[in-house]
Amino acid sequence: MRERHPRSVNFEIPRYILFMTYFSNIKTAVSTVFEGMTITFSHLLREPMTIQYPDRTPLPVKDTLPPRYRGFLCVRPEICTACTLCQKTCPIDCIVIEHSKDEELKQRVMTRFDIDMAKCMFCGLCTEQCSTGAIYFTNEFEASTSNIKDLVFKFIKQGEKVIPYKIPRKKKPAAAAAETQAAAKEKKE
Amino acid sequence: MKSNAAQQKIHIEECDGNEMILNLGPSHPAFHGAIRTQIRLDGETIVAAASEIGYLHRCFEKHAEQGNYQQVIPFTDRLNYVSSMMNNVGYCRAVEDLMGINVPERAIFIRVIICELSRIIDHLVCVGTNLVDLGALTNFWYTFNVREMVYDMFEKISGARLTYSYTRIGGLSRDLYDGFMDDLKVVIKETEKAVSDVKGLIYKNRIFLDRTVGVGVVTKEQALDWGFTGPVLRASGVPFDVRKAEPYYFYDTYDFDVPVGEHGDTYDRVAVRMEEIIQSIRIIQQCAARMPQGPIITADPRIKLPDKHEVYGSIEGLMNHFKIVMHGITPPVGEIYSRTEAANGELGYYIISDGTQHPFRVRVRPPCFYFFAAYEHIIKGQMVADAIATLGSLNIVVGECDR
Repeated sequence: MRERHPRSVNFEIPRYILFMTYFSNIKTAVSTVFEGMTITFSHLLREPMTIQYPDRTPLPVKDTLPPRYRGFLCVRPEICTACTLCQKTCPIDCIVIEHSKDEELKQRVMTRFDIDMAKCMFCGLCTEQCSTGAIYFTNEFEASTSNIKDLVFKFIKQGEKVIPYKIPRKKKPAAAAAETQAAAKEKKE
Repeated sequence: MKSNAAQQKIHIEECDGNEMILNLGPSHPAFHGAIRTQIRLDGETIVAAASEIGYLHRCFEKHAEQGNYQQVIPFTDRLNYVSSMMNNVGYCRAVEDLMGINVPERAIFIRVIICELSRIIDHLVCVGTNLVDLGALTNFWYTFNVREMVYDMFEKISGARLTYSYTRIGGLSRDLYDGFMDDLKVVIKETEKAVSDVKGLIYKNRIFLDRTVGVGVVTKEQALDWGFTGPVLRASGVPFDVRKAEPYYFYDTYDFDVPVGEHGDTYDRVAVRMEEIIQSIRIIQQCAARMPQGPIITADPRIKLPDKHEVYGSIEGLMNHFKIVMHGITPPVGEIYSRTEAANGELGYYIISDGTQHPFRVRVRPPCFYFFAAYEHIIKGQMVADAIATLGSLNIVVGECDR
């Protein structure tokens, strides 16, 4: 028999009133059980806090997620500048970008933009530093597939060439003035 | 396999006819994570024990040395995954101290609020799972309901439920969302309700008292010798709290108490944690009342990414943006040990900088490692079931213990 700690409920009553001890034990037992049961019963009639996923939710789960939610990454290649900052800032190198100078088009083109979502840890460092907002988080999160290679998202198809985005330049004031003058001359003639 | 540390301590040949050797872990439902304790049993009494870690080693320090300072933040999430925010805050505070940056006041107040919320959920998880180990499943639901609400709040703040990566060196990644204070009031109310419910269920319960009172006793001297910190040390009767002993983030201006236990047993550790939840609520309320307006990240151009309109509009902004991302943050040559009071105890970061963008060394002083090192001594002479109750009350988070 283990020694009872002095702070546990005290049942040390002299032996000559063992009979009384018997009843006080019952009283303590009943009162403590009653106290616990009132708390648990108060929870009985409340609304359940759990919902069944995925088919019993009132809305699809991805519509209930907060706007800052960090789900799968997505890329808009048409506004990507191919600066490769996201590739550089990724702590685990799950972004691969390939870009080279194309001889036909005589300019730099992107030929590959892969994100391995199986590796990605959704830290958000890449979206934070993207200067044009080309890479961003979506609300998609259901990633289970039978083949892990499906989780390598290719935002540029193989063989496709995407010209990086450039901010359209404003014409210099002198050149613009010359153009307007030329236009005015044309009108006159 | 003589190289195995646990097997070197406990040999099957040493057992006499009545004794047996039992493995608790590394994958055991009552053990909180992948840790292993080998025990030699005489009947149901533990005669000798030997602990072993290393099943969840993830090379945190090596990862940190290879990345730059900003890239370490996602890895700190995975240390104590029950209260990730505190690891973020601890790491960022260490780097900021190394660089001598002043963090804006609003960022500091937000950091205090999220830290105390993390402390609340960490304690709720610890108490809830500890009671599950003792057979009281109902408390688990009451504590986890509140934790769920806090998780929803953190999800709205940072975008993730567990690995937040919320802080940045010099401040925070994002400001609070609209309606945060309303959510905070609801959470505080629910937390108080949950704490009073759990207290009502366990404090007079005869089974709980028999299972916890006098079980897993750590005396004052033992706790100090073993390097304990946090609630476990305070349960043994030492009123040490980094928030009081070495105040940071204006903790000296908040009115809160440090609950201290008396006997250092499992009961005291549970009670100290329950009381700390109440104290954390007090801090949050004072903090929310004093919340200033202003920026959430320092204006130091060495650290802060320039605003997007500067990146688009000026060549200086664009150059600064690329410089910070490509070359990283470069603190001056030096070293620092910075400690914060995490949910389990003193969480220290020791960072050595050699002046490059990569940290030379990032060493973490996790509070759990010291608990688990002493665990084999605490449980000697106890029953197996008491060993489980003791482990739950020490709150060993293996992600932090192993790194």
